[in-house]
Amino acid sequence: MNLIKAEFLKLFYPRRTYGILLAAIAISVLGAAFTPYALSKIGSGMAMPLTNAAAIDSVYSKALAGYIFAVIIGVLTVTSEFNNHTAIATYLAAPKRWQPMLAKIIVAAIGGALLNLVATLVGMGSAAYALTFYPEAVAPASNVWLDFSLVALLTGAVLSLIGVGIGALIRNQNAAVSISFVWLFLIDRILAVLFVDVGKYLPTGLVTSLMNLKFNYTGPVVSVNTGDYLEPWPATGLLVAYGAVFVLAALLTTNRRDID
Amino acid sequence: MTSIVFQDLHKQYGKFQAVDGLSANIEAGRITGFLGPNGAGKSTALRCLLGLATPTSGSALLDGKKYTQLSHPSREVGAVLDTSGFNRSLTGRQNLKIMCAAGGINTDRIAPLLEMVELTPAANKRTKGYSLGMRQRLSLAAALLGDPQILVLDEPANGLDPIGIAWLRQMLRDLANQGKTILVSSHQLAEMQHTVDDVLIINQGKLIADGPIAQVTQGRSLEDTFLSLVGAGK
Ligand SMILES: Nc1ncnc2c1ncn2[C@@H]1O[C@H](COP(=O)(O)OP(=O)(O)OP(=O)(O)O)[C@@H](O)[C@H]1O
Ligand SMILES: [Mg+2]
Repeated sequence: MNLIKAEFLKLFYPRRTYGILLAAIAISVLGAAFTPYALSKIGSGMAMPLTNAAAIDSVYSKALAGYIFAVIIGVLTVTSEFNNHTAIATYLAAPKRWQPMLAKIIVAAIGGALLNLVATLVGMGSAAYALTFYPEAVAPASNVWLDFSLVALLTGAVLSLIGVGIGALIRNQNAAVSISFVWLFLIDRILAVLFVDVGKYLPTGLVTSLMNLKFNYTGPVVSVNTGDYLEPWPATGLLVAYGAVFVLAALLTTNRRDID
Repeated sequence: MTSIVFQDLHKQYGKFQAVDGLSANIEAGRITGFLGPNGAGKSTALRCLLGLATPTSGSALLDGKKYTQLSHPSREVGAVLDTSGFNRSLTGRQNLKIMCAAGGINTDRIAPLLEMVELTPAANKRTKGYSLGMRQRLSLAAALLGDPQILVLDEPANGLDPIGIAWLRQMLRDLANQGKTILVSSHQLAEMQHTVDDVLIINQGKLIADGPIAQVTQGRSLEDTFLSLVGAGK
């Protein structure tokens, strides 16, 4: 309990945490607020007009983009200890090293889930507001507010745990943050759209599955058929399994190495 | 009463023996100076003692236990280590609050300790802006948070001004008089001569002298004794 409290303080004291939250909100709001405009342009006469309820779901789904910053929360939970040389104080207070790591895992999961939930709710609010400018827009096909909030909690928690694993394996803060960004912003997204056969098993593809969107968009550059992705439940299982693997990696790597 | 025991402690990095068969007993109620040239293995031995590095062989025990076996480490042992740091974007007080939370220590301890190390005016500033001496003072406050019976201090005088060194000496003496165990490494031999009761001197990972300071120095200054023992200055 003491260690969990200490980890919460480490998460909530630094201003950086709030900067990350703002960044997550910003990316959610931008995606959600501009998608109606984009769809109303490219959708005219094409597969995705705003009169299609599935298109409205996909507008709201852009609010989930903040999960990338949940990974950063997880990474920093571990790397800031090495960056600041506070790992010594942490392990002096709790020399059985799995204990502070378990506390970090719990706090990172809660922190990542909350961050993504807040960003998603603000993003969906801005999606709703943006859609009021399009009289042709219909109601969403599914219960987006509840469904996407649950997806936000789950993906925020799991992605943050993946971040904990990345941080524990790499330790160097700049390297770990850069690798996470490049992977999630670029590689993972490219694979999810252009190489669906691989991408559907990776985080971005899995998050897409969880949203349970139903549309088939054929464009000049990219085509997206949500039918190519996994069904929501297998995707949930796989995402949780990734989280478990990274958590295990974090627990195993902290045990042996000497602390400088 | 013996409080810290090194038993044939070895720590090897690759083929290099950083600590090479260190055996020593450190008594409670006394200040023990841990001396040796740069790279002698002092910090390495202390890190093995505190569970931060795993010995290659042998052991280092506190009241008969490994550090990792202590039930309330922060309340039993206080430590200052040369490489330890603070979260630079947080204030001195926030850093101490985190340590109190982790160690299960009442935060009431923070204010008087900040007062004692004369950091009260800087307590709400981020440690990013602290000078070397201020960080050292904060480390000392951190080591004392849990009111521990054993103190392990690696170069605690590092960066302290003469006033700071004087109160450090007085504070260590007061704590030793309360029956606490104090193991302190330093390079400031003239200062150590006036502070410590016992000395351990190591060179290239091996113990080369050990005992009450008067017995080790035989009437010479600690500096002369040290230089002749480590074979320098000839
Ligand atoms: N993690 C490590 N990997 C490899 N070598 C190391 C490591 N830590 C220490 N050493 C080596 O072990 C030796 C002892 O280092 P240590 O820091 O214990 O010396 P010290 O007595 O504390 O020196 P100083 O007085 O300069 O603080 C040095 O030669 C150092 O290079
Ligand atoms: Mg040293």
